[in-house]
Amino acid sequence: MRFGMLLLGLVCVACVLGSALPQGKTLEWYLEHYSPRKAALIYGLNLSDVFHSTWFLILTAVLCCNLVLCTLLHLPGLLRRMRDAADSDAVAKARPVATLTGVTQPDQLFERLHMGRPKALEADGRQVRFASRNRLGLWGGTVCHLGILLLILGYVLGQTTKLEYTVYGLPGQTKPVGDTGYTLTIDDFQMGLQDSGTPDQFTSRVTIHNPSGSASERAEISVNHPGSLLGFSATQNSMGNAAKLTVLVHGELYQETVLCQGEYLQLANTPLAIFFDGYEADAPFDDGSVHDVYDYTIYDSSSGRSASDYQLEGEAAMTTSVYEIRFSEPQHYTLLQLKKDRFLWLAMLGALTVLVGLILALYLQPKQLRALEEPDGTWTLYAYSRKGGALFADQVKKQAADSRQSD
Amino acid sequence: MLQAENVLFTITMLLYFAAMILYFLFVVSKKDKLAAVASLVQAVGLVLHTGALICRGIGAGRLPLTNYYEFATGFAWGLSLVSLVFIRKYRFPMLGVFAAPLIFLIIGYAAMQNREVKDLMPALRSNWLGFHVSTVIVAYGSFGVSFVLGAVFLLRERMKDGSFWDKHIPSREKLDLLAYRSVSLGLLFLSFTIITGAIWAERAWGSYWSWDPKETWSLITWITYTMYLHFRVTRGWHGKQAAVFAVVGFICVMFTYIGVNTLLPGLHSYA
Repeated sequence: MRFGMLLLGLVCVACVLGSALPQGKTLEWYLEHYSPRKAALIYGLNLSDVFHSTWFLILTAVLCCNLVLCTLLHLPGLLRRMRDAADSDAVAKARPVATLTGVTQPDQLFERLHMGRPKALEADGRQVRFASRNRLGLWGGTVCHLGILLLILGYVLGQTTKLEYTVYGLPGQTKPVGDTGYTLTIDDFQMGLQDSGTPDQFTSRVTIHNPSGSASERAEISVNHPGSLLGFSATQNSMGNAAKLTVLVHGELYQETVLCQGEYLQLANTPLAIFFDGYEADAPFDDGSVHDVYDYTIYDSSSGRSASDYQLEGEAAMTTSVYEIRFSEPQHYTLLQLKKDRFLWLAMLGALTVLVGLILALYLQPKQLRALEEPDGTWTLYAYSRKGGALFADQVKKQAADSRQSD
Repeated sequence: MLQAENVLFTITMLLYFAAMILYFLFVVSKKDKLAAVASLVQAVGLVLHTGALICRGIGAGRLPLTNYYEFATGFAWGLSLVSLVFIRKYRFPMLGVFAAPLIFLIIGYAAMQNREVKDLMPALRSNWLGFHVSTVIVAYGSFGVSFVLGAVFLLRERMKDGSFWDKHIPSREKLDLLAYRSVSLGLLFLSFTIITGAIWAERAWGSYWSWDPKETWSLITWITYTMYLHFRVTRGWHGKQAAVFAVVGFICVMFTYIGVNTLLPGLHSYA
C-alpha cells in the first residue's frame, strides 16, 4: 500500500512537471528559454514530453502491476469480510459503534433504521435479531481498481494502435487520408455566424472513398457532432483562412494557386517561396480605417532565410521590377480529424467502472444491527459499521429516542 | 434579464456579507439565535443567487457556466449550497462561521471578473457543457466544505473543553467523518466532471484526453483526494493527518481553478 501511494505521488509529480514545463518543444527552444544546464536536463530526462516518455510509461506500468497485486492480495480478506458481514456471530466479535440497552421493540428500530426485516436467530439460548446492509459496498475499492486498470489499458492500447490523421482543404478538393490510401472529398464547408459576427458553427460535408474506390460514405460533420466515415470517426477540429495567390512575372501570369494559411508556393525555377501567414478581414488601422489584410513572407532558399515579411491590403499587389504578387478571393478551409481508436470502448468502460466503484465505496457503507434478548425480556442493541461509525451511531441513538417518544 | 441578474447578484453579495457578519456576531455575542439568523440570511442569499444565475441564463440564452465570472459565481453558489446542506443536515451552524468568509471571497472574486455576456465559440455550444460544469461546481463546493471542516478540526485541537467553541463544534470524530463525507461527495462529482469532460472532448476535438493543464491538474486533484481516502481506510489516517490532507487537497483545487487559468494556458483558457 505504501508503495502504491508512493507511485501515485510520483504520478502527481510527473503531472506537475508535465503541466509546468512547455511540452513538445525542440532542444533549441529550451536552450533559448532556459539556461544550457536546465535545457540539457529537461531534454535528457525527457521532461520535454513527460507523458510519452519511457519513464512515465514504466511508472504507469508499475502502478498497474501494483493495482493488480493489491487487488489480488486483498481478495481473500475481502471475501472473508463479505461472509462475516452476513454472519451474526462474526459481527458480534467486532467493536460496536453504538450500544443501546433496555430496548423493548427491536423490530421497530430495525425498520426505522432501514435495515430491513431482521433474521431471528438464537445464540447461547438467547434470542437474537440480526440484519446486515450494504455489504456490496465492500467491493467498492476493488471495482474502482478494476475500472482504473481498464481505463489505463484502454488508453494505452488506444494510443499505441490508433490511426489518426488530419485532413484540411477547400470545398471541391480531394485529399489523401494520410498513407491509408483512403481519400476525402470536401463537398462543402459552411461557417455559420452569430449576430455579433463570431462563429456559430463550422460544418463540413465530406465523402470518403476507400483505396480501391469500391466503397464510399458521405457525412456531415460539425463541431461537437462527429461523423462516421467507413470506420473512421471524423471530428470538425478547426478551420482557417485561404486565399488565391497570383504571381505575375514581367506582367505575364507565372503561377496561380490557392493557399491555405501555413502553406507556401515555391516559385518555379527560382529560389523564392511565398509563405501565406494569414488573412484578417476588416483589420483596424491606426488611422481608424479598416481593411482586409493578407500577411505573407517571402523566403529565399539561396540565403536560407526569409527575405521579408509583407502585408497586403485588400486587392493590392506587391510589385517589383520583375514580380507582381497579389492575393484575392479570401475563403475558409476546413480542418478535420479522422481517427480509428479500437479501444475507446475499453477506456469508456473503465471510466464507468470507476464511477460504479466510487459509488459503492463511498455511498454503500456496510452496517449491521444486532439485538440480543436479555433475561429481563428487554433487548440490547449493537450497531456496527466499518466506515461512518459516528454518524451511524448518531442515527441509531436518534431513532431510539424517537421510538421511545412515539411509544 | 441581465439587469435583473445584476441587481440580484449585488443583493446576493450583500446578503452573503451580512451572513458573514452575523456569524461573526454569533461568535462574539455567543447567542445561538444569531447563528440561526445568519443561516437564514445565507439561505435567502442562496435563493437570490439561484435567481441571479437563472436570469443570466435566460438573458444570455444559454447555461451561465462558460467564463471566469460565471464559473466563479457558480463556485460560490455550490459552496453556499453544500455548506447549508451540511449545516442543516448535521445541525452544525458553526460551519457557517468558517464557510461564509470563503463564500464571500469567491463571490467577491466573481464580482471582479468581466461580466459581459459574450457569444460562445462553437466548441462550447454543447449539451455536455451543462453536465461538465455543474458537476465541477458541486465538486469544488464539496471540497471547499471539506477544507473548512479540516481547518475547523485543526483549530478544535486548541479549544478548551466546555468552552463556547467546544459546545458548538461537533466532536473530532464527527468532524472527521463530515470532512470524509464532503470529500466523498466532491470526489464522486469530480470523477463525473472528468468523465463528462473526456466524452465532450472526444466529440469536440476527437481526443478524450490531451494532457491539457486543466485536465492534468484535475487528475492531480483526483489523485490527491484518492490518496486521502486510501490513507483513511488502510493506514487509519483519521483526525489531524486527514484534516491536513483535506486542506492540502483544497490548495490543489484552487490551483486547478485559478492557478491553471492564469499560469498555464491551454484548451480551457476561457474558463
